[in-house]
Amino acid sequence: MISRRHFLSASAGVAALASGMPTARAEGGQVVVGTWGGDYGQLLSDIIDKPIMAPKGFEIVQDVANADPRKTKLLAERQSRRGSMDVSCLSDNDAYIVSQSDVFEKIDAAQVKRLDKVFPELKSDIAIPHIYSAQVILYNTNQVKTPPQSFADLWDPKWRGKIGLADILYPNNTLAAALAGGGGVSNLDPAEKKLMEWRSLDVKIYPSNEALAAALKSEEVWLTTMWLARGFMWKKSGIPLAHVVPKEGTPAIVFQASVPKNAKNKAGGFAYLDAMLDAKAQGGFADKMGYVPTVTDAPLPEDLAKQVSLTEAERARLLKPDYAYAAGRSQRTLDFWNKEFKA
Amino acid sequence: MALLVVPACLLVLALLIGPMILMFRISLNQFSPTQLMVQALSPDNYIKAATDPYYQQIILATLGIALLCTLLTLILAFPAAYWLGRMESRWKSLVVIATLFPLLVGNVVRSAGWMALFARDGLVNTSLLKLGVISAPLEIMYTTKAVIIGIIAVVLPYMILTLSAVIESIPRDLEYAAANLGASGARVFWRVILPLSGPGVAAGSILVFVLCMNTYATAVLLGGPRFKMMAPAVYDQFVRGNNWPMGAALAFMLLAVTMAFTVFGSVAFARKYRTG
Repeated sequence: MISRRHFLSASAGVAALASGMPTARAEGGQVVVGTWGGDYGQLLSDIIDKPIMAPKGFEIVQDVANADPRKTKLLAERQSRRGSMDVSCLSDNDAYIVSQSDVFEKIDAAQVKRLDKVFPELKSDIAIPHIYSAQVILYNTNQVKTPPQSFADLWDPKWRGKIGLADILYPNNTLAAALAGGGGVSNLDPAEKKLMEWRSLDVKIYPSNEALAAALKSEEVWLTTMWLARGFMWKKSGIPLAHVVPKEGTPAIVFQASVPKNAKNKAGGFAYLDAMLDAKAQGGFADKMGYVPTVTDAPLPEDLAKQVSLTEAERARLLKPDYAYAAGRSQRTLDFWNKEFKA
Repeated sequence: MALLVVPACLLVLALLIGPMILMFRISLNQFSPTQLMVQALSPDNYIKAATDPYYQQIILATLGIALLCTLLTLILAFPAAYWLGRMESRWKSLVVIATLFPLLVGNVVRSAGWMALFARDGLVNTSLLKLGVISAPLEIMYTTKAVIIGIIAVVLPYMILTLSAVIESIPRDLEYAAANLGASGARVFWRVILPLSGPGVAAGSILVFVLCMNTYATAVLLGGPRFKMMAPAVYDQFVRGNNWPMGAALAFMLLAVTMAFTVFGSVAFARKYRTG
């Protein structure tokens, strides 16, 4: 005998099929994405969650926090059978640190279909590269007529008092100093001498990227080292800036996404990583945030590409961080920055 | 009657003492760049925090700023508190609300306002430049004076309200009697008002001192990256260095110094007050 409840649910199912409504919702399920808020979280929602994941039946819930709480949560939950996140978004350096505790699933093409489209130099076995940018020299075009060509040029006394640095980017500023002093991603030793020289040239330090942008706008400082993507956003906001890809090389930053081993919905997590590599979604991030696509089949409009991408020759100078070295030296880098350079 | 304090005590025990015990345990662990924290029972972080000249300098600077701000706040607050304490107008409650009003705005928002005023192209510099008072912008942001102004703006209402409550309880007749016996206004203040408002001065100063010692947002936003106080140093270790054990040890060091000065101040005052 068919009960009233069975009859109603069967009718609803038939009606849904007939009207072409997505019926996979229950199959996809909920995917919890640990991400930053702000522009990044909003773009994930606008470009990936709603147009790509929702029609496949996935319900996306963002767990918004900065990277440090997310790292802590991943490490604290690593012994639990079920974690709170299905996808974790972190920078490449942070993802490396967390991965040392064997927290993330291995990434392979069987789970992430679009992995074969990813630029080989950005691939990692524990994360997909979502977006990336490169550390360049930004300069004010009104004030700087002959721009520096290398990080080392930023130590020219003619720029005394006109270089500004963001305090929060101390690891990257330290790397720029190391490169200027003949060091590299695996040798930050020369940075300490160069930072002290920079200090004597009255380099200015600002507490945040926004404060640095305001100083560039008011022409309090004329030059800085910064992500090309952020330079693009600042240019869009009306600051007269241009960039130079330094001769010594251009350190890359890759924002990655991983699936924790204890994710409740691993299939959903991997589906999300696949969606993050979608060509259209990648173009959307470039257009709004200036970060470059990590896949080969997401060409950007010529004008946008000119502003946010690296040429082939410049891409050859892209420097991949030495994650193990940077992590091992992190406390010394922070201590030197605080105790010596900023003293 | 004593049972009435049980709920509040339990809340404090659960929400303050509990996390503090946890943090003390963390402070005995060791930092690892890849695992972040390794279980240990080591006093190393405390030894490093106490012996590193960098942290010694920061704790001294923090103490100096806190004591200076407390003194300046007391000097600025006393006349306003006296006026408020003696006010008999029906508008008194409105004035109290107006005094409280700055506390309705968060420290970060308030500091953002100061930033707009103090910036190189902010209101102060623009106005002075336009008036021809200065020929080049003054460097106010990211200086100690900016932090002191910012901190005083935050703590001033606490001092005014604490002092005014005590001044209000001092009988007006005592002032009249002193004046009647030939004391000048200044003498009345020094010999009558100030001694009798001692409990308010002590309570307000301790409250303000503790707030100043723990200043974070104002120090970071107005002092800039080179300005050093303890709370930003604790944050640095926790968030930028991911070094929770060291951050926890520094937090306890800050707590210990603040408590030592607070207890010392309270005892010294109590002794003086008891002996007249």
